[in-house]
Amino acid sequence: MSTDLRAPRTAPPEPALPRLGPVGLLRWAWRQLTSMRTALFLLLLLSVAAVPGSIFPQRNIDAGRVADYMAQNPTTSPWLDRFGFFDVYSSPWFSAIYLLLFISLIGCIVPRTKVHVAALRSTPPRAPARLHRLPEHAEVTTTLSPEEALAEARTVLKAKRFRLHAHDATSVSGESGYLRETGNLVFHLALTGIIVGMAVGHLLGWRGDVILAEGDRFASSAGTYNTISPGPWVDDESLPPFVLGLERLDVQFNETPGRGFGMPREFTAYTSLQESPGAPVTRQAVSVNHPLTVGGADIFLLGNGYAPVITVRDAKGTVLYRESTPFLAQDGNYRSVGVIKVPSAQPKQLGITGFFLPTAEPTFANGPVSLFPDAKNPEVALSIWEGNLFPGGAPQSVYTLNTEEMKQVTKADGSPALVRLKPGQTYEMPGGRGSITLERVKRFAGLSVRTDPGAPISLVSAILATLGLILGLVIKRRRVFVRVRREPTAPDAGAGPPVTVVSIGGLSKDSDAGLAAIVQAVHDHLAERKDRP
Amino acid sequence: MNLAANANIALYSSMIVYTLAMLAFTWHLAARVPTIEGVRVEDREAVLVGSGSRDGEPAAPETPSTPYAAGLVGEQTLKSRQRGNIALMLTYLATALLVSSVLMRGLAVSRPPWGNMFEFATAAAAAVGVAYSVLAKRNHWEWLGVFIVAPILLVLGLSLTELYTEAGELMPALKSYWLGIHVSVAFIAVAMFTIGFAIGALYLVRRHREEKPPAKPNFIESLPTSAALERTSYTVNMVGFILWTFTLIAGAIWAKEAWGAYWQWDPKEVWTFVIWTVYAAYMHSRATAGVDARKSMYIALAGFVAVIINFTLVNLVSTFVGMHNYSGM
Ligand code: HEM
Repeated sequence: MSTDLRAPRTAPPEPALPRLGPVGLLRWAWRQLTSMRTALFLLLLLSVAAVPGSIFPQRNIDAGRVADYMAQNPTTSPWLDRFGFFDVYSSPWFSAIYLLLFISLIGCIVPRTKVHVAALRSTPPRAPARLHRLPEHAEVTTTLSPEEALAEARTVLKAKRFRLHAHDATSVSGESGYLRETGNLVFHLALTGIIVGMAVGHLLGWRGDVILAEGDRFASSAGTYNTISPGPWVDDESLPPFVLGLERLDVQFNETPGRGFGMPREFTAYTSLQESPGAPVTRQAVSVNHPLTVGGADIFLLGNGYAPVITVRDAKGTVLYRESTPFLAQDGNYRSVGVIKVPSAQPKQLGITGFFLPTAEPTFANGPVSLFPDAKNPEVALSIWEGNLFPGGAPQSVYTLNTEEMKQVTKADGSPALVRLKPGQTYEMPGGRGSITLERVKRFAGLSVRTDPGAPISLVSAILATLGLILGLVIKRRRVFVRVRREPTAPDAGAGPPVTVVSIGGLSKDSDAGLAAIVQAVHDHLAERKDRP
Repeated sequence: MNLAANANIALYSSMIVYTLAMLAFTWHLAARVPTIEGVRVEDREAVLVGSGSRDGEPAAPETPSTPYAAGLVGEQTLKSRQRGNIALMLTYLATALLVSSVLMRGLAVSRPPWGNMFEFATAAAAAVGVAYSVLAKRNHWEWLGVFIVAPILLVLGLSLTELYTEAGELMPALKSYWLGIHVSVAFIAVAMFTIGFAIGALYLVRRHREEKPPAKPNFIESLPTSAALERTSYTVNMVGFILWTFTLIAGAIWAKEAWGAYWQWDPKEVWTFVIWTVYAAYMHSRATAGVDARKSMYIALAGFVAVIINFTLVNLVSTFVGMHNYSGM
């Protein structure tokens, strides 16, 4: 920026801040952090900071989409990644906001609790001299004696659950709604409880995913899951040792033409479950919304697909490979991809990759396409590779084929060998490499086994928070004062017996529509009593 | 008898009746315009009450000293009252038709009738209609009618033209009694937020005109005072916020049952959370000393914008697609 020539020569004096020592500064910072305004600002900041996580793909939800996004936006995405936009909810800035908020929260709850406990023990304050100045007020003249009038007022207020105290003989002070602050504190405290529950779940919870084809069984242990992500404090030995077999997976899709065509309708896995190896077998169904519980872990049915049973033989007919191989669905019609690795093939290792189509579009005019998610016309379309399956011996996913050191197998005319098989069909690979057979098609279930020991803490806290919130918002903190004075005679009548003038005043800390009714109730009660002789 | 078809007939009929109700409400507002004389007299009555008291008690609220501020609710002309009554009757009828449409759809599909966006939109509109109908008579909210019925009509119109889905079965993930609990509470909360939003927006206009009195009063000057509007909006939003808190918790419980984790930050969860924090900030700001009620109201209005985004963009735009892929679109 250019210098402004018209600026005054002498800078305006700095606003003089009181000098603070380091302790004073810390105390000042703490007071700022625990002020309600800061909490408000942090709350708003938190809501804004949460939004990017719904706009950019997130690794915790779908790492594949993050990879796609990064491939499509090569210039911006490294920067986005550097600032955590693909892991918003574990990014330093998001964490900083909610941690500050919760420090602020605790720093707020502690002193407020002290104040509230003191308030619970204290008595309502002395009645102001002129009650007609209060937001709600009323006055009534009665023939009752001052003592009687005060006693009557007390009964009404008592019934409305006011705490009462008389500072002098001619007045009574009442206060109600202490539960409001109690509820408010419970609400704020329970918010920290939710966070504690989440932390416990993160540290002590674990999750393992496994793909199980119909007819297969698996024994739970740290090594048998396809992927396992234990919390930092989880001991591998502590996993429940159950044995789970998938007998059958029932799947239904909507066959009525229209918008919902092909939408899933029903997934149910029928399983056999043993609590531990050798324990009695029970038959149990798992479906979406109906998890299975065993040994403190819950088993969820989260995915499904097809696992064609494929056999690879060598030229002599010896079986090199026969397995139900899961193919992972790529779209709503379950066009699925999968890989078969045959390291024992001679002279070179074989890798077979391609598509499984539950309802194959027969012409392949647009490549391999599936028309419907159910297995109405199943077919596989595969290509064959030979060479070194595991270059460098590095570990790799069972669902991808690394073709760096492999060459595609071609037919005699040099064109790539493309295999299309329906169940029961066999393909003879060119050059005496053997054969590939699609035996039949099974389904697989994607099961997720999870424990979250923190969840009950969070749940109880959340329920307490709701109850506290309701108390804190619905209950009103109110004060009602009643003062009596003796007048020689009724103000309007000329002469007569002395009367008592009762003034009632009410006051609320909150916007309070009910206060007027309470003042009115005291008034009406006394007005009624005065009519009686 | 084809229930789904009858549900649609009831829906169209309710739209016709809502249109009539909207016209009647406008006609009612036209009769509410106060005359200048009528107001100015009222204005002078405003005597300042004591501005403070002992024991550090808060001061009694200052009575606004601007013209028109006092509100003329009690002084409605016979004409405006009659028109208001007609409009309310039409609203009740339209709402009854809409509710019966939702119920018939539910019977037709034998499940809670809010399993896709079309159904959610109509059910939420019905909830707004019911909430307004229940509250309007008692609170003399005829002045609010246009601002409630017009959005209902808009939502119904858009859902018929843009979102319509034939009655059908549910996706497996939605087959749970939590659909009944979580979603119905969600749209009752949305209904409250809608009413709170309408009153809040009127509050801002009313307050602006109290501070800079216009040359010519119109129906705005016949509304309750800005302070009263602010309080009402707060109360309605507060009920919405409590219900939304419940929605959030119920959603987390359901997510645990369906997906195995109660919170995964998928876009729908993110926006449910954003809505919650924004309204929490509103509640919080209102209790914070030194925050002007107008600023608090802006936060509440922002919360309602988030509600709208949650239901439109998050459901329909593919960037937001997460696990909640149930729009049926
Ligand atoms: C996670 C962060 C927070 C959230 C979501 C939150 C939310 C809320 C809500 C919804 C209310 C109104 C409910 C009621 O009156 O019962 C409220 C009131 C209040 N909050 Fe917070 N708050 C948070 C943090 C804090 C912090 C850090 C402080 C202390 C500086 C604080 C102090 C208060 C106070 C004093 C009230 C007013 C109670 C009254 O109405 O008298 N809150 N907050």
